[in-house]
Amino acid sequence: MTIQEQMRKGTTTVIILNLLADAERPMYGYEIIQDLESQSQGYFRFKEGLIYPRLHGMERKGFLRSEWHGENGTRRRKFYAITDAGRRRLGEELEGWRMLSQHVNQLLGVETVP
Amino acid sequence: MTAGMSSPEPGINHLLARVQAQMDLDSEMEQDVLAEIRDHLEEAVAEARAEGLGVEEALARAAARFGVEEEIGQELQIAHAGWGTADAIIAAGLPVVCALVLRWLAFAPDGTVLGWPQLLSRPAFWIVALAALLIPLLKFERWRYAMVTWVIFWGLTVVFVTLPALRW
Repeated sequence: MTIQEQMRKGTTTVIILNLLADAERPMYGYEIIQDLESQSQGYFRFKEGLIYPRLHGMERKGFLRSEWHGENGTRRRKFYAITDAGRRRLGEELEGWRMLSQHVNQLLGVETVP
Repeated sequence: MTAGMSSPEPGINHLLARVQAQMDLDSEMEQDVLAEIRDHLEEAVAEARAEGLGVEEALARAAARFGVEEEIGQELQIAHAGWGTADAIIAAGLPVVCALVLRWLAFAPDGTVLGWPQLLSRPAFWIVALAALLIPLLKFERWRYAMVTWVIFWGLTVVFVTLPALRW
């Protein structure tokens, strides 16, 4: 696995939380994938099915809550929304990301845009 | 997948069966997971069909983008693993804890059992009753599980009050 793949994998959780926080509305899995791809100009393209273990894991941890829309016998769709705990976690992750990227950039001699 | 198919349904069912083969969740949870993935695959196929692909090509593209079904089934199993056990421990343990507390509440120190009026007037009883409802309601994903625990709680209460000779 390349460093880019590792970083993509490691940042998926915070990116999903950020997407749902920005959207300010519940979204379903396929919609989340489409948004991730379009907002990242295709950079965040991964095996789509792998988003569901992530979403379910985040829901288990209380960062997301889900709700089924649609009746039995018709098309049912599961929507996810970020919780207060998810917003707190997002804040922590973003702060951690800022610190990490700042120090890695310093070590690598990469200039950062202030 | 069969050649010349007219509906993506059999192909989607085949993909779902491969995911399902890797999971060992409670049936309701498993059905929810599969319904969510079905919705995903149906939308992916519909999108490909709207772009002009035939059923078979649309299904192949949706499957390729979805990933290896076995790997995803395993990841889903891992994502849900352990929580079922925790739920089971709470579901089994809570009525036992409630029964012990009820025994303490329903019997006076001299061994005589309290009647309904005395029992229902004790704030401690209602604290236990609320705990028996709220703990599983907040903990379990299925509100029905909480209702079962709640019913067991009231069943034990009725047994204690109406069968005072029963001691355990």
